[in-house]
Amino acid sequence: MKVSLFITCVSDIVFADVGKHTVEILERVGCEVDFPAAQTCCGQPAYNSGYLQEAKKSMKQMIKAFKNSEYVVGPSGSCVGMLKEYPHIFKGDPDWEQPAIDLANKSYEITQFLVDVLGVTDLGSTFKGRVTYHPSCHMTRVLGVKDAPQKLLQSVKGIDFVELPVKEDCCGFGGTFSIKNPEISREMVKEKSQHVSETKAEYLVGGDMGCLMNIGGRMRREGKDVKVVHITEILNTHREGGIA
Amino acid sequence: MAIHNRDKFLSNLAANLGRPRKTEGVERPEYSVQPQYEVLKGASQDELIDVLEKHCEVIHTDFVRTSKQELPHVVRQTIERYEAKSIIASNDKRNAEYGMDQAYNQFAEELDMHIWDASIGKENQVIAEKADVGISFSDITLAESGTVTLKNDKDNGRSISLMPKSYIAIIPKETLVPRMTQAAKQIHDDHMNGIQTPSSVCFVTGPSNSADIEMNLIVGVHGPVNVTYIVVD
Amino acid sequence: MSVKIGEISYKERIDKGIDNDFMRQAVSSAQGRFRKGRLSQAEELGNWEDWRQLGSEIRTHTLENIDYYLHQLSEQVEKRGGNVFFAQTAEEANEYIENVVKKKQAKKVVKTKSMVTEEIGLNEALEKSGAEVVESDLGEWILQLDEDPPSHIVTPALHKNRQQIRETFADKRGYDKTDSPEELAAFAREQLRQDFLTADVGITGCNFAIAESGAITLVTNEGNAEMVTSLPDTQITVMGMERLVPTWEDMEVLVSLLTRAAVGQKLTSYITAYTGARLEEEIDGPDDYHLVIVDNGRSKILGTEFQSALHCIRCAACINVCPVYRHVGGHAYNSIYPGPIGAVLTPLLDGYDDHKELPYASSLCAACTEACPVKIPLHEQLIRHREIIVEKEKKSPVSEKIMMKGFAQWASNPAAYKLSTKVARTALKPWTKDEFVENGPGPLKGWTDVRDFPAPGKQSFRAWWSERAKGEKQNGNS
Repeated sequence: MKVSLFITCVSDIVFADVGKHTVEILERVGCEVDFPAAQTCCGQPAYNSGYLQEAKKSMKQMIKAFKNSEYVVGPSGSCVGMLKEYPHIFKGDPDWEQPAIDLANKSYEITQFLVDVLGVTDLGSTFKGRVTYHPSCHMTRVLGVKDAPQKLLQSVKGIDFVELPVKEDCCGFGGTFSIKNPEISREMVKEKSQHVSETKAEYLVGGDMGCLMNIGGRMRREGKDVKVVHITEILNTHREGGIA
Repeated sequence: MAIHNRDKFLSNLAANLGRPRKTEGVERPEYSVQPQYEVLKGASQDELIDVLEKHCEVIHTDFVRTSKQELPHVVRQTIERYEAKSIIASNDKRNAEYGMDQAYNQFAEELDMHIWDASIGKENQVIAEKADVGISFSDITLAESGTVTLKNDKDNGRSISLMPKSYIAIIPKETLVPRMTQAAKQIHDDHMNGIQTPSSVCFVTGPSNSADIEMNLIVGVHGPVNVTYIVVD
Repeated sequence: MSVKIGEISYKERIDKGIDNDFMRQAVSSAQGRFRKGRLSQAEELGNWEDWRQLGSEIRTHTLENIDYYLHQLSEQVEKRGGNVFFAQTAEEANEYIENVVKKKQAKKVVKTKSMVTEEIGLNEALEKSGAEVVESDLGEWILQLDEDPPSHIVTPALHKNRQQIRETFADKRGYDKTDSPEELAAFAREQLRQDFLTADVGITGCNFAIAESGAITLVTNEGNAEMVTSLPDTQITVMGMERLVPTWEDMEVLVSLLTRAAVGQKLTSYITAYTGARLEEEIDGPDDYHLVIVDNGRSKILGTEFQSALHCIRCAACINVCPVYRHVGGHAYNSIYPGPIGAVLTPLLDGYDDHKELPYASSLCAACTEACPVKIPLHEQLIRHREIIVEKEKKSPVSEKIMMKGFAQWASNPAAYKLSTKVARTALKPWTKDEFVENGPGPLKGWTDVRDFPAPGKQSFRAWWSERAKGEKQNGNS
């Protein structure tokens, strides 16, 4: 099966490892992965801020970049959720509506792709450590992916999984929200950080680097020693003793 | 009776909706789902009574189940429990059938007993305000939510269930339905069949309460503080 | 009052909210209870999504035919001896109501909690014309005595604690007992009972007006609406024009959604549907009945992308799940409609000038949309507002505009984008320490004021990918 990786700009620039793990997992389950180099950003920062015209420029670039792909898979519920909105955004546009629908229909978040398309719930991973999971808002509520990440995590051998209290609460990232309303965002992420501490987890796992960057950045500022890792990193680990 | 400013107001709405004004020809659509009919579907009257009884705990309401013969006795016990000295009751046709006419006559010998009497007008409200207990029959009883439906009229003022400190609802077993759906349908069907909708239909679910002070539940705010449901087989 | 409740700036309101520990604690615990109640009710039904779907279909159909159903409603009310007044503006509504009150030479008006009467400033208008107005909902009464605006649409005095309430009662009404909620409520019962008995006019809002028969449905727990509609001889219902359902069966569904979504109750203690003036020989209820149907800016919303905001049934489920509301409280919205629905409705009813920050006071987490029992896409409507603020109203900051123009150029040009992936690490180097930025420049400042920002990795993903591809090619050739 041919899969095009949608790396997302955040992971491309800041968290390259997330891309590597995603590629390795996809190859492990037998996919042939390519990386269309013309891809940029899904357009969400502009779209969510009300800059529709600006957002559309970036969205058109994405549509072009993945034009020939069979499947588009990315390590972010939020960014993939944005791709899923394209048909609505280009509705009535004679040149772009159909291509937008095509892209939305073939796009998946990585855990969604593994579980729902490939039917894989156990990657044979081993990971030792106390782990809690933050289900990001866009992953669960916009994209509608709730069970896939949990199913995959639960199949990891050796994992000591603990539920995050009030896990459905937003961490306060919200893209430009965190910059436009820093005071409110701060209060939200403080609360999230507190909930993570309550679990006594060594690792906070999530499926969206935006949220993880926010929570991790706050916990580091608070001097807390919790490692923040993308779910693909856990799923791509085969050794005992956790992440080096 | 008058209707003011209607044409201008409604024409503006139609214009904003981008079409001519509609005064006829609108049908309710077939809604894609009807989950309200699934609740307690096919439950027997006895099962509905069980549901009602269970829910009474949630709504701070005392529940008693009795027979027609025992009803006057159970009502008396309840009144004694409330240490009531004055009572107001509806002038319901069912009073005779359920032996309450006689019971009220007996109560009158010991207590201030008043049966709602349209001929004395506002005096009824004054009596209700001073009464310790109000008693009336439920017209439709909703098992799911523990609700008595009171169709108020000239013989059954709203004040009876509202103003006294305690309220007793007599619930004939056959008035039980699964939920509000059946009550609403009944009133809708009546309306369609030309039966006038009562000027007030009260769905009463236990005593009055409020959570306005620090979210603390306080039972008994403006309406009754105590409620007892007596289901009659 | 009007939609807007004060003149304090957005930034000050936010800070004031965040600094109010008691309020935040109260809101947080209330949200927890409300949320638990709603979820357990939904779970018990087992088909909550069907219920939401039905609610949404009923609201959609009603609003699409609102002129038809309002016509039908007014016919039915008139048939039952009532007067109907259609008010385009707040002023028209207040003037009509004032005239009724004056004609009756009413000295005392007793009211139920009603958002629309807050919105049109009815109390102030009536007081100016000389009538005493008494709010009878416990929470509203507390606020009225203390001259404080509501901060929540279901539990309006959520932001006050019992000590504050005790003080208010003592100052304004000579209360001398403890601050136990039971004693406070018993005092309110005693005081308000006298008001109910002596009021000349009763005024209520409206949860759902039933078009087919002209009945007005009121949903309360305290029983105050029953008092207000039973005792005074003159009664006035004030309804926002969209608070309407076609039939009793539709009312029933929406009431079930309302009480479950609002407070996790199957039904509230009192749900009363009353129709017009009292019938012959009846004693309770008014002999003079008026229904005032208020537009006040709502009609402008019809036919727009915001039409579904009019589907709102005022349950506050969106408010009860909103993390922003939890931290800043209701007053920070500076509107009688706070929370997500407030952020959507307020600019529609009262314009963008005073409320342009509200649509941005959301992380777009969509908890509101998920909680809404009639499926209003609240977080999407906040984005629509932002688009209008940027593109039509041109109210967004210049620095942001420049940034977004830059974003569009960057994200639509793969070469420029690729370059940025190469230089990002170097660009942030002056601020980087131990692989983190702790005191960032420009737009990063807001971020790094409260948390660290990870430095871009030594190698971008795309750089790794092309190296890997090259390596594979070489391996393949050897």
